[in-house]
Amino acid sequence: MRRIVLYETFERIWHWAQALLIIVLMLTGFEIRGLGIHLFGFQRAVSLHNVLAVALMTLIVFAVFWHITTGEWRQYIPTRKFLREMIGFYLTGIFKGVPHPVKKHRMAKLNPLQRLAYLGFKVLIIPVQATTGALYYFYPNLQHALGWSPSSLWFIAVIHVLGAFGLVAFLVGHVYLTTTGHTPLTNIKAMITGWEDIHDDEYFDEA
Amino acid sequence: MLHPPRKPSLRRVFQALAGLLVLPLALGRAQQPVEPPHRGHGSYTDLHTAKNRRLTADHSKFKILQGPFKDGDGPAVTRACLTCHTKAAEQVMATSHWTWNVAKDGKDGFGKSTHLVNNYCIAIIGGNTESCARCHAGYGFKDKTFDFTRQENVDCLVCHDTTGDYEKEKAGFPNPGIPLAELAQKVGAPTNRNCGACHFFGGGGDATKHGDLDNSILKAPRTLDVHMSKQGAGMDCVDCHTSDAHKIAGPNYVIPADRREEPKYPGESVSRMSCASCHTDSPHQSYILNRHYQKVACQTCHIPAFARGDLPTNLSWDWATAGRLKDGKAYKEKDAKGYETYATKHGEMVWQRDVKPAYVWYNGNLKFLRLTDSFAIPADGKVVLNPPEGSYADPNAKIWPFKFHEGTQPYDTVLNKFVAPYTAGPKGSGAYWGDWNWDVAIKMGMETAELPYSGKYGFVKTSMLWPITHMVAPKEQALACTECHSQKGRLANIPGFYLLGRDRGTGVDALGLGMVLLTILGVGVHGLIRYLHVRH
Ligand code: HEM
Repeated sequence: MRRIVLYETFERIWHWAQALLIIVLMLTGFEIRGLGIHLFGFQRAVSLHNVLAVALMTLIVFAVFWHITTGEWRQYIPTRKFLREMIGFYLTGIFKGVPHPVKKHRMAKLNPLQRLAYLGFKVLIIPVQATTGALYYFYPNLQHALGWSPSSLWFIAVIHVLGAFGLVAFLVGHVYLTTTGHTPLTNIKAMITGWEDIHDDEYFDEA
Repeated sequence: MLHPPRKPSLRRVFQALAGLLVLPLALGRAQQPVEPPHRGHGSYTDLHTAKNRRLTADHSKFKILQGPFKDGDGPAVTRACLTCHTKAAEQVMATSHWTWNVAKDGKDGFGKSTHLVNNYCIAIIGGNTESCARCHAGYGFKDKTFDFTRQENVDCLVCHDTTGDYEKEKAGFPNPGIPLAELAQKVGAPTNRNCGACHFFGGGGDATKHGDLDNSILKAPRTLDVHMSKQGAGMDCVDCHTSDAHKIAGPNYVIPADRREEPKYPGESVSRMSCASCHTDSPHQSYILNRHYQKVACQTCHIPAFARGDLPTNLSWDWATAGRLKDGKAYKEKDAKGYETYATKHGEMVWQRDVKPAYVWYNGNLKFLRLTDSFAIPADGKVVLNPPEGSYADPNAKIWPFKFHEGTQPYDTVLNKFVAPYTAGPKGSGAYWGDWNWDVAIKMGMETAELPYSGKYGFVKTSMLWPITHMVAPKEQALACTECHSQKGRLANIPGFYLLGRDRGTGVDALGLGMVLLTILGVGVHGLIRYLHVRH
């Protein structure tokens, strides 16, 4: 067994801040939509949603900067290597207790499925939410300046809402999958402390 | 400035950030930076001390006003006024308070003395002038022989009496018991009482017509009307309805949908009828609230209900049911609240206090039907007498609060035009209220009005819209967001745009929820299998 730093301080702060922001955005968003959540009251929910959206986008700017300067963005390059093994692992292996097919490295901490999921999250869902959100917010200005039809807001809202539901689904899957580590809490602990105990013997060597 | 400086807050910082993003997008649209909140509640005492300080004449010092004036001799008082105010009558004569006639869109005939029609008292020109002219700013308006050029016929006192004792009777003459000399020595600028003497009594009774204007305004607590209440700003009507050479800024059947008027040259007298004239178009702390101004009139949120005073306003007037007699006599019926539900004179009526407005896209133009306009009865059987113009796409239109007044009224079933019955007159005169005979009353009315009439009448349902703009409530009572941003909210039926919180088609939510449920299901099954294997 060995211990490695899996998540650096920035990464952990970024992760939890993002999680918190998205969860509150979710709650406020659904409250505004009128889906039966009554936590903040409409007016405060709207203000909060807008302020947190700006906060989230600011955080994302920092995160992008961090990913570029540290080269960590390479962690998300999709790969087919072990993709089939990973799918097999989640579909059957995990039940039989076979060891995880992909070994975690400091520089390859994401398995091929994670890479795909997080890449999708980062380049698809979040940008779609941020873009439709910004279009939503500036809709009165845009509609006026560009002569959009009144129904375009409906379209923007529908995508934003579907994105929001997508995020809920993502959150559910994401939280569940964190429990598939060595023990159910291993992965969450790693994201909190940064450290992970690597049980080498349980992994195939990636090389 | 009315506004004290404000401390920067976190929200402001974010707004500033967001504002930076707007900058390139706000092409053309004057997006004012967020203005500090409005805290200047004003003060009746301050305002009226200032008004009194500005006076340069004490009318009790003028010999000519000592009188004596003969009882009820209004014209004599006017002659006295005109010895100093030599051009006043001429000015008044150019206004609609005198002519009762207004041109609109290049067309004549919008006004009480001409062809305008409503669904309260219907019309004046069918022989009712003498009794309706109680509210004419003149003396002797009985019928069309009235001399509109005689200066002494202008009634100065109705607008300038400050005692509150002035009272007009038939044809607009003063009640003979009024001490004219005493009143003449105490004249001053019009107060709410002067304007209210007529404008609170539209439709023939206090609070009847407008719904947002009635006598309770004179003793209003601040909660009823922040502007006119003496606990509020203590303002007079004329503080917003400013005047220029006796022409008082007013709707004249074209009500600016909250547009801010700018002087075209220095010193031009502009009205302050739009809220923005005093409050600017961005009076809230919140950028989002300010942005509502583009599509929502201030009145919509700030007048949660009208007729909030002591008096009910008339919501429905069913002329078709008028004329029922008990033992050959006219009668009235009242409900538990004391509101008149039936009167032989008027028919069935509905009255209500504290009425929620109806909301409509409105760009300031109401397209009034006149007695001379023919109409088609729409499928729902209801003719709208003054359909409002506007839609979401109309850049000048906003969502406005209205009082909808429903009713039935007589019309010419052959010509498809409204008729002007002779209503106010004694028994034997042929007037409806004397003899209860529509046939005769309409025939006589149309003859007096010099309008064609086929001789066949029927009753048709009509609806009339009255813009609500007075009785502004304190800001704490402004509508909460969800009054409109909800599925069954106040704007549930306002078409043409996507409204957050209202327009969530169930399909989208079902799709999204399905997605989430499937994920939960998948995760649940997976977890269950894992759990079972671990226990094995
Ligand atoms: C990332 C940046 C985001 C921006 C700029 C943004 C912006 C907006 C805006 C402007 C609105 C309209 C209401 C308002 O003014 O507050 C809105 C509504 C909404 N937002 Fe967001 N949002 C963002 C992220 C999210 C996220 C992460 C979620 C959920 C996970 C979400 C869920 C919703 C929902 C459900 C609505 C209601 C839409 C409707 O019913 O029309 N938003 N958002």
